Amino acid sequence: MRGTLPVPAIKIRASEHLRCYPAKAKDMVKINLPTERAENWKEVMLKKMAEVLNKYRSVRLFMDICVKCGACADKCQFFLGTGDPKNMPVARADLFRKVYRRYFTLGGKAFGFITEAEELDERMLQDWFTYFYQCSECRRCSIFCPYGIDTAEITMAAREIMAAAGIATKYVTEVVAKVYDTGNNLGIWPKAWKHTCSFLEEDLKEIEGVDIKFPVDEVGAEVLLVPPSADNFVNTDTMIGYAKMFHAAGISWTTSTYCNEAGNFGLFLNYANLKQTNNRILEAARQLKVKKIYWGE
Amino acid sequence: MGALTFIFLPYLCTAVFLLGIGMKVFTWIRTPVPLRIVTTPAPKTRLGVLWRLIGDLFWFPNLFKADKLLWASGVLFHICLWIVFLRQLRYFLYPVPTWMEGMQTLGLYAGYIIPLPVAFLLARRLLLDRVLYISILGDYFALLLLLTITVSGVLLQLFFRTYVIDVKDMVLGLIHFQPRIPSAHWLFVLHLLSALALLAYFPFSKLLHAGGLLLSPTRYQRANFEKRSVNPWDFPVVYNPENLSTPEKYAQALKGTGEGGEE
Repeated sequence: MRGTLPVPAIKIRASEHLRCYPAKAKDMVKINLPTERAENWKEVMLKKMAEVLNKYRSVRLFMDICVKCGACADKCQFFLGTGDPKNMPVARADLFRKVYRRYFTLGGKAFGFITEAEELDERMLQDWFTYFYQCSECRRCSIFCPYGIDTAEITMAAREIMAAAGIATKYVTEVVAKVYDTGNNLGIWPKAWKHTCSFLEEDLKEIEGVDIKFPVDEVGAEVLLVPPSADNFVNTDTMIGYAKMFHAAGISWTTSTYCNEAGNFGLFLNYANLKQTNNRILEAARQLKVKKIYWGE
Repeated sequence: MGALTFIFLPYLCTAVFLLGIGMKVFTWIRTPVPLRIVTTPAPKTRLGVLWRLIGDLFWFPNLFKADKLLWASGVLFHICLWIVFLRQLRYFLYPVPTWMEGMQTLGLYAGYIIPLPVAFLLARRLLLDRVLYISILGDYFALLLLLTITVSGVLLQLFFRTYVIDVKDMVLGLIHFQPRIPSAHWLFVLHLLSALALLAYFPFSKLLHAGGLLLSPTRYQRANFEKRSVNPWDFPVVYNPENLSTPEKYAQALKGTGEGGEE
């Protein structure tokens, strides 16, 4: 594609109606989060916010040093696409910053009108849910910020805080729960995975006329391959490519039914699930006694 | 009145500035850095990081990528600010070093120029709808203070000349804790008071970007992923085993005896 995308004029609340479905209780239970919004959600969120601010220098510093220069404003694809000013990275971070100022800074507590400090009320929470889930954590804005302010880290913090009070989206929580159930984002059960692999073996035999294995759960192989779901489900040519490459290089390899997913949706939810999803790769590697992990995506 | 302006406020504002900055920097440094997610392209060596930070301090490469006009006015403003700071140090030092005397003319011209980028930044805030939307009262306050300081400075230099010997005498008096009250033009009082206001406002505002930049985790960290980065507050994740499928459950499913064997 050539040419430039024109910067839209701002259209107040243009994408406010584009909201994610809320998470379902059956998924929230599996991923260790409250099944519904906590009764005292405000206290829970503020407590979690204090914890996040004390654990991440990035978040605390980014709250303090933004000068509102607007360099990031026209760099976010969500703003370019919708024109909603709250989708400008600086305005998105401001949703967090206003609450930070109100509850965690002297300036915001004493002179709220200068710093635009705001209460964490129902309206603010609705904005958090809408606009922190209209960020894809791509980090494009951080490339243009003179201080390297990374809105992705602020989005991650905001989602972590909301998740603690039982507020999350159906899409993300369902995918993480699926990983704990089936070992991958797509919900491919172990038997189906074995069948997929034997289909691919037949395909490869047809294409190349050579018997090349797609090993599954082979204890003692040298390499554990953890393919992203795009490769093992959609673009299976890439999966066939992996097998050819291992065959040509003469490396013994295997996939795992316990963990055949490189994508980690915990990143879009909270730290604990991010870690737990990654842990599964290590568990699979130990179980299969491999020496190396090849991890795509 | 004279004692308030020339003795009490300078000490108070300087104390607020130093204590405020000290507390902020202490809080930042005390807060751990769990994630090594630098912005790309990131340097792999300490020397590379040093060079990156020097660039961020003096010629803002990220801003250059983002917006050329904003970059030009930003660089012009900050370079002039550095030069004006260095020149004005002559009011704080006795005797004045030779190199500082040598930059007298350059410093004066930087001072004449400096209101221009400030005025441009203010106009940009008001005229560009995106920036107008994100601007808060504090942004205008800082810019108006800077405008007051710089314009009054230029006027003092060109039209309403203050007797600088008296000014220097006052500053040195403050430094040596033997404060003296000079007689000065009201414009100088305005210049001094707005500078003091900026000093006191500094630790509570976005002006903190000056020092915060050097502690920004996305800028000062290296991209040496060969070395394992350990999260200082890492914790074991505990889950209800009933909600997790263990490898054993999977093995059973494959044999067709357990649940989850669907296709």
